[in-house]
Amino acid sequence: MSHEKTEFAEFFQASWEPCLKAVVASTGSVQLAEDQVAEAFARAWLSWRKVRRHPAPRAWVVRTALNAGASWWRRSIRELPLAGHEAVAPRDIDEGLNATLLTALRHLPDRQREVIALRVFLDLDIDTIARHLGIAPATVRVHLSRAVTTLRHELSPSQAMEAD
Amino acid sequence: MNDNEELKDGAVLSAVHDSMSGLRMPPAPRLDAITARGRARRRRMGGLSIAGASACAALVAVASLAGGSGSGASTPALSAGRTPQHQTVPARLAAFSVVAGPGGATTLTLYPGQVIDPNAVRQALAAHGVPALVTAGQFCRTAVQPPPGVGDVVVISPRPNQVVSGGHPADGLRSGPILTIYGSRIPSGVKLSIGYRQDSQNREISFTLIVADAPLTCATIPDNGPHGDD
Repeated sequence: MSHEKTEFAEFFQASWEPCLKAVVASTGSVQLAEDQVAEAFARAWLSWRKVRRHPAPRAWVVRTALNAGASWWRRSIRELPLAGHEAVAPRDIDEGLNATLLTALRHLPDRQREVIALRVFLDLDIDTIARHLGIAPATVRVHLSRAVTTLRHELSPSQAMEAD
Repeated sequence: MNDNEELKDGAVLSAVHDSMSGLRMPPAPRLDAITARGRARRRRMGGLSIAGASACAALVAVASLAGGSGSGASTPALSAGRTPQHQTVPARLAAFSVVAGPGGATTLTLYPGQVIDPNAVRQALAAHGVPALVTAGQFCRTAVQPPPGVGDVVVISPRPNQVVSGGHPADGLRSGPILTIYGSRIPSGVKLSIGYRQDSQNREISFTLIVADAPLTCATIPDNGPHGDD
């Protein structure tokens, strides 16, 4: 395996789950997120020389996945390698999601939701998020603050009223 | 922001984080599957790039064929010989079918090897109360992707890159993608954009929510990666 592929493999293995969680939080569907994140990693591999120099490669993957929307694509049988874990019955994994929280997240404006995903699931600091999104750190703080305020109200109305 | 507020903010962010911590996430696919997908994508992009204007010409040809006056076996035609008049009447077409399902869902099935008339799909979906933009050979979106999440509106089956136990990948290829669409969840002023592309090797469908009447950006591949640093 080439050095480049080894490096990408390490990134892929370490980043799959946090990236998937970030996208699930935005899309509300594990099924869709799984495909979107897989597609984003495929694109990351295509552009690995660029992505590896990105200040936050995981953020690149998440943003690519979110921007990709949802798609279905299947190549011919001969070209399609099926991993062992894929040959299983569909999981009811989405049922484990916190519906209230996910609904609240999806009601946020896109940018606020993206900031939340990057901050919470990729553990990026404000400056890195700002560089990645091409906006000022102060703007990131505003998005984050507004998102948190909205989530606080939607998740715990009584608590929010007390805080007010 | 004082310390108290920061503490409260931290609690909210922790709640978001914890909401996923107990969730069993699907394991990562095999690396080979990811890199193969990337290589295939490169081939598709290269092919499309080389094809250039001829791809557009082909699309026009496809549209002409599909929208023609019945010449050719691949022209979509109502197998029942009638246009759907009511939501509960299934439209069974040669290249696709649109069927009303339980819970207000509409099932759209695209059959491989057939030429799809985007306008026919759009009309069939509209008859089932699903406002849609359907495009063949290109994938369209608006600058803003309106809520709700597209995952609330559309569910694809079979799962991408997956076969059910005992199944065979060929099963998925033969049956084609099946989209279950919850049209009632599409807000007013929003449409479902469905792009479809098929050649001898690949079939691809992409969907997203778009703002009705907003300017569209269309591409021959559903490539909407990060902007600005590509």
